[in-house]
Amino acid sequence: MEEYVIDFDRLDRSSLPKVGGKNANLGEMLKAGIRVPPGFAITTGSYLEFLKSAGISEEIFRLLASADPADVALLEDASTRIQDLIERAPVPPEIETRIRESYALLCDKCGEREVPVAVRSSATAEDLPSASFAGQQDTYLWIKGPEEVVKKVRKCWASLFTPRAISYRSKNKFPHEKVLISVGVQKMVNPKAAGVMFTIDPVNGDPSKVVIEGTWGLGETVVSGSVTPDRFVVDKVTSEISEEVISHKSVECVYDPHKGEVVHNEVPPSRCDLRCLEREEVIELAKVAKLIEEHYGLPQDIEWAIDQGLPLPENVFIVQSRPETVWSQRQREPVLGKKSGYELLMEKALTPLKINF
Amino acid sequence: MVEAKERRFPDPHEFRTPPELNGWEEMYPSSYLFSKDREEWEDRQFWYQDKIHDPEPMPPLDLIFHEAWQISLSQYTTRVFCIPPAQGVAQRMVGCYMYICAVEPPPEEVIKEKTELFQKRVFYVFEHYDELWEKWLNKFQALGREMAAVKVPEELPKYVPEDQVLPAPRGYYASYELIEAFNTLVSQMYKGWQYHFEMLNLTYLAYLMFADVCRKLFPGISESAIGKMVAGAYVSMFRPEEELCRLSRLAGSKPGIAEIIKRDVPAEQKIEELKKTDEGRKWLEELEKAKDPWFYVSCGSGWFHYEGSWVNKLDIPFSYMKSYVERLEKGERIERSLEEISQKRDEIVADYRKLIKTDEDRKSFEDAYKTVRTIYRYAEDHLFWVEHWFHTIWFDKIREFGKLFVKHGMLKEVDDIFMFNRFEVPEMIEELATAWALGEGVPLRGKYYMEKAEKRQQILEAARKWTPIPALGIPPKEVAEPFTVMLWGVTSEKVAEWLKGVAVVPEEVTEIKGFASSAGVVEGTARVLKLLEEIVTLQPGEIMVCPCTNPAWAPVFTKIKAAVTDIGGLTSHAAIVSREYGLPSVTGAGVATSVIKTGDTIRVDGDRGVVTIIKRAEQ
Repeated sequence: MEEYVIDFDRLDRSSLPKVGGKNANLGEMLKAGIRVPPGFAITTGSYLEFLKSAGISEEIFRLLASADPADVALLEDASTRIQDLIERAPVPPEIETRIRESYALLCDKCGEREVPVAVRSSATAEDLPSASFAGQQDTYLWIKGPEEVVKKVRKCWASLFTPRAISYRSKNKFPHEKVLISVGVQKMVNPKAAGVMFTIDPVNGDPSKVVIEGTWGLGETVVSGSVTPDRFVVDKVTSEISEEVISHKSVECVYDPHKGEVVHNEVPPSRCDLRCLEREEVIELAKVAKLIEEHYGLPQDIEWAIDQGLPLPENVFIVQSRPETVWSQRQREPVLGKKSGYELLMEKALTPLKINF
Repeated sequence: MVEAKERRFPDPHEFRTPPELNGWEEMYPSSYLFSKDREEWEDRQFWYQDKIHDPEPMPPLDLIFHEAWQISLSQYTTRVFCIPPAQGVAQRMVGCYMYICAVEPPPEEVIKEKTELFQKRVFYVFEHYDELWEKWLNKFQALGREMAAVKVPEELPKYVPEDQVLPAPRGYYASYELIEAFNTLVSQMYKGWQYHFEMLNLTYLAYLMFADVCRKLFPGISESAIGKMVAGAYVSMFRPEEELCRLSRLAGSKPGIAEIIKRDVPAEQKIEELKKTDEGRKWLEELEKAKDPWFYVSCGSGWFHYEGSWVNKLDIPFSYMKSYVERLEKGERIERSLEEISQKRDEIVADYRKLIKTDEDRKSFEDAYKTVRTIYRYAEDHLFWVEHWFHTIWFDKIREFGKLFVKHGMLKEVDDIFMFNRFEVPEMIEELATAWALGEGVPLRGKYYMEKAEKRQQILEAARKWTPIPALGIPPKEVAEPFTVMLWGVTSEKVAEWLKGVAVVPEEVTEIKGFASSAGVVEGTARVLKLLEEIVTLQPGEIMVCPCTNPAWAPVFTKIKAAVTDIGGLTSHAAIVSREYGLPSVTGAGVATSVIKTGDTIRVDGDRGVVTIIKRAEQ
């Protein structure tokens, strides 16, 4: 039987074709014992079933074929029409029921009447190591209630056809039919601080460091680059925090209960220059990053969040992890030049240390 | 166009010391002064204050160790092992502080010659390191025992004893014995220091090589992490403390002895009490066994006569044993396991090794590590035998001369002998021997020497209050001499720091930097200790700030929250012990004991090597 919705804790990396890279990863990490906010994935199968039952596939591909990615106006027009098609087409009842059931179960699990969730696209091509598709499809934050969840799922399906997404695929010669989409629905962490971390120093490729960047509130400001985050560099082996840069964090992205949505607020002056992570939290994050990297055997690019109100280490959550794309691609050349200990000693003796001041 | 200001320190020939130090020049051999006839060469070198070995003003006789190492260290680089682009380390005195420089490189042809010789000569040492180490230890211990056996006459008798005359005259008497004893001691000291450097240059080269390897593989790796991989347990440096543990356990097993050890009375008194019983006497025998060589550990660095050693300041080891016995009674473990330390180090190495990406690099790393571990053992182990054991024997012998001078009215205190350098002491000996030989009623310039000693004490006091300038001359573009880089930590950053803040006003400093020697960040109240005796003032949970530590200080680490030292790198004693006890520590902070005051609230960041003064103590 076709599975339309699968809980994260039943996923692992082999689930990628069904739930996309992001969701498969979340399942994989859960399996490895990493603290990931709970949730479920709406499968690619659901997307296909939706397209089939709505009967809009042909129309979509016709519109795609007619749009020249170089022509911005045509592209936008095609995109708008396709997205419109998707958002107006009915969701098959079995699928909608499954989504609602899963959301209800999630609310139970979290002990909340209507648990706020993030609804995120997870394309099957997106998180493949060799292509940085990040941000091509949309994410919806702080969604509450089964109605809204279903609405946003459909919007995610539609986001496969934003102008950016279409042109990205065309430019990189990615066949549109091959990209299927899955949607993840995940409990939102209410973070005091969030951000990203790399298990390889993005500046110099040092494999022994975890570089953590974070700021107040949700991590979107770090990912989007709209805030200069605090920066911590931790040594994987000794856990020394070798570098700490506390930045001026004037804006934060938080959930506003009055407005009922996520907003960008000004950070009160007393908190702008305060460190967003305590030392113990930095070390715990680095520890988790190391675990994740060891699990995958590849350098990782990780999104994290520190929940308010929970004690350490239960407050440290991993929202997402994907393979790092810059340094991993570089040639793995030996840097020492195949020298023996004795040869290295001789070399050192013959080379004076340069003083530059 | 704006003219760039030449980045340099004052000219050593123009630099003036403050008036309260007037007269300091005559305390040291004349070759130690910057001079007109060597001006051109001296001006080309870069002279920086040796904060590691001479952070305090130099008592004239204590200079002998430095005189000896100037020759020894340098010759291994220039004439023995011939490290190609490097030459020796020269010394000068300014205002009672020592300045050193890495002598500029030799001409190209000489570098070429040395390269060939270096490869041939070093290879043998490299291949046979372990057996050379054994041989070295035996040789050195034999020398120390020879020095300990030198007899210094206790008195110049009114009439020489009969057995030196009848049945036939011996031919030489106390006057000669006195002269010869001192000459012998000086020769032995020089020899000991010649031995000292046999393998040390290579050791530092190996460390620098390994550090380079780590930085190529892990560009952001800290000095601290490198140090942790290289440094293991100082085997001989740990023995003094192990002996204390052994003796404490023995005492702890006998309630009568434990009770005496725990009393709050001087060591002398405890020994008297212990002599009264059988088991007490047995324990004292064990104590005697431990004394030589392990109690010869200095209470400081071993470079200054006034630091003392456990063997002549028994109150210190006894006070440690008191606290060990108390802890044993509480059921605590007092020994530190050397295996654990080695294990932890091996784990760190394995963890870094795992992160290496290519097989070739992994192999090179392993080889480099093996090289440095083999060789580095020497750096760790020699320290106890030379700077502690050997120097303690020397100080003891010199004091015997001091006693004699006091007896004959030439000095007020025994330790005043250290106010005279090693060329002046033979003069004093000769004067004494001559006056004795000349007969009754012959004047001896007692007042002359006593006044000189007093004046020099005053100059040293004034020098202690003065802050010496960190460097003189023009900084070099390159440094090839391994000690300069590694031991003294002269790097681009250091030089730039010195250039920036030449005049440090202690009260205005809020942050000092050193080596990130042991991870962790804590805040607490500072306790500045300049001498080991002062540890009685230390309150539990305070942060210790001191010039440097060594095994004599080890038991202090159980009381403190963190450690900050003026001197010492990541492989120093303070660093290793802090890591073992899991305390944050910053070593090699240079000005810590002059900038931080007891009672200040400070933060010690052992991850980044930064000490911040948060709040000054109330005046």
